[in-house]
Amino acid sequence: MESIRNLMTGKHRQCDDHFVAVEQAVARSAWGEAASAFNHFRHATLQHSALEESILFPAFEAHTGISMGPTQVMRGEHAQMRALLAAAEIALAARDVDDYSGNAETLLIMTQQHNMKEENMLYAMCDQHLALQLAELLPQLESGINMRELM
Amino acid sequence: MQALLSYDQSPPLGAPLRFFLTAPLFGILAGLLLLWSGPEALAARWTPAALALTHLITAGFMLQVMLGALMQILPVLLGANMANPMRVASVVHAEITLGALFLVAAFLSFSPWLFKLAALFSGLGVACFVGSAALALHGIASTNPTTQGLKLALLGLSVTLVLGMLLAVSLGWSLNLPLMLLADIHLGWGFVAWGVVLLAAVGYVVVPMFQLTPAYPGWFARYFSFSALAVLVLWTIAEFNQWVFVSAMLGTALVALVVLFAGVTLSIQRRSKRPRFDATQHLWQFAMLSALAACAVWLAARTFPLFDGWTGWPVLCGVLLLFGGFMSVIVGMLYKIVPFLVWLHLQNLGQGRVMAPNMKKIIAEREMNRQMLAHFASCALLLLAVWWPLWFVYPAGLALLVASGGLLRNLLSALSVHREHRLKIESLICADDLPLT
Repeated sequence: MESIRNLMTGKHRQCDDHFVAVEQAVARSAWGEAASAFNHFRHATLQHSALEESILFPAFEAHTGISMGPTQVMRGEHAQMRALLAAAEIALAARDVDDYSGNAETLLIMTQQHNMKEENMLYAMCDQHLALQLAELLPQLESGINMRELM
Repeated sequence: MQALLSYDQSPPLGAPLRFFLTAPLFGILAGLLLLWSGPEALAARWTPAALALTHLITAGFMLQVMLGALMQILPVLLGANMANPMRVASVVHAEITLGALFLVAAFLSFSPWLFKLAALFSGLGVACFVGSAALALHGIASTNPTTQGLKLALLGLSVTLVLGMLLAVSLGWSLNLPLMLLADIHLGWGFVAWGVVLLAAVGYVVVPMFQLTPAYPGWFARYFSFSALAVLVLWTIAEFNQWVFVSAMLGTALVALVVLFAGVTLSIQRRSKRPRFDATQHLWQFAMLSALAACAVWLAARTFPLFDGWTGWPVLCGVLLLFGGFMSVIVGMLYKIVPFLVWLHLQNLGQGRVMAPNMKKIIAEREMNRQMLAHFASCALLLLAVWWPLWFVYPAGLALLVASGGLLRNLLSALSVHREHRLKIESLICADDLPLT
């Protein structure tokens, strides 16, 4: 059976691919392509964190009774990532390569170390604690969220 | 569970940073030593100046950054939180700094007292660090290759240190120990079990993370550290028993493992998804190519007796490994770790209301690239100085001075951005009349 860890790790790699697509377009000064790739990246990243904050984390917190632990740390890091995403978006719109690459670099490292904590520890804990709810949770995490509902 | 709940426990910025800022000072001292000693530093492996130069880089530059990075990596990646990280950092930093300085002075003067002081301070510093790390790691299961590798590397550091102390004590009290044999084993443990195993354990995480490469192959990550340590133990036994043929075979196996690590790293780096290489990627690539070149020199010396008879080959190996290999990779890592830590600290300080300057505003990319070129030039000049010491040792010393000074300046510029931005945050938050946590 599919696990939360495999499913969500796969989504992290999809976000990485979108990030690389923007970087490659910026390197070629293909600004239209970069803007479109950035929209995909932004959407995928925001949707992933929204899925975690609205479905996965509440299920973990309800089951373990821990709401001020790792999920709270992850929420804080999501907020930092959203701030960097916004700064990168402004730099891209202004076609400021240096500012974009500085914000993108910071976002990349922030995201990668965040993903690593989730992939190595939190998702494994979720698989362990939420084993009985997997059949219900996985389709919800798989299908995603209509982002307009969250705006 | 305990580890999971506390895995955001990044230590205070000052804990790793004091190590990172001290490291380039040892690079500067190494440059000055080359200028002061002249060709003697690169004439042969056993000259006082060569031993002092080697330990300025290993016990000075490398040990500082490696312990500083572990202060950060253990809690953040492994959830292994040290008790009182600032106190541990202050004590360990002071002790290993003094230990390295006494050791270098001891090699240059051959004063027994300086060897005793070097053994005492280095011993206390490393024991304090390994003890604190062992307590933090207690109960953390070795479920992934990085955790396994870091634990084995700490064991490697401990053995290297004990052997080094034995050598220093032996010189301090004029004991009749087999110095050449102990020095070879000390070098083997320091290079493989501490240096390469630590680099591989950290590389499994940071190479894919910084360079967006595929992960290291599962078979490699699972077995590399254990294999290296197992072969090293067998080689040590063979060396002690003077089984010349067995020792040569096991030595070759160790070198083959290093070639494998460098080869696998280069191979996954070639598949990086990033459109262009930055300083960190160039420095990693340069380091792996230098390691391969050092292994080729070692194998050539073992294969061709004529080459083995040249006193310069161990120095050539040392220059390739220490300056081309470890120093390059360490500089590359500092250029990601320091700007990110400064950004993270400032971002937390700004409480989401004041945006921290991005990483490339903390250390400018142009300055990193310039320093990287100075480092490459110093490596090239050091290699030339092995062949033509009279011609190249002084330019090499000067280039090392410039490259290490450039590294220090770049790291200090990060500190200065931190100070300026912190003041800005304080004034903004004080204006809002809200407490700064």
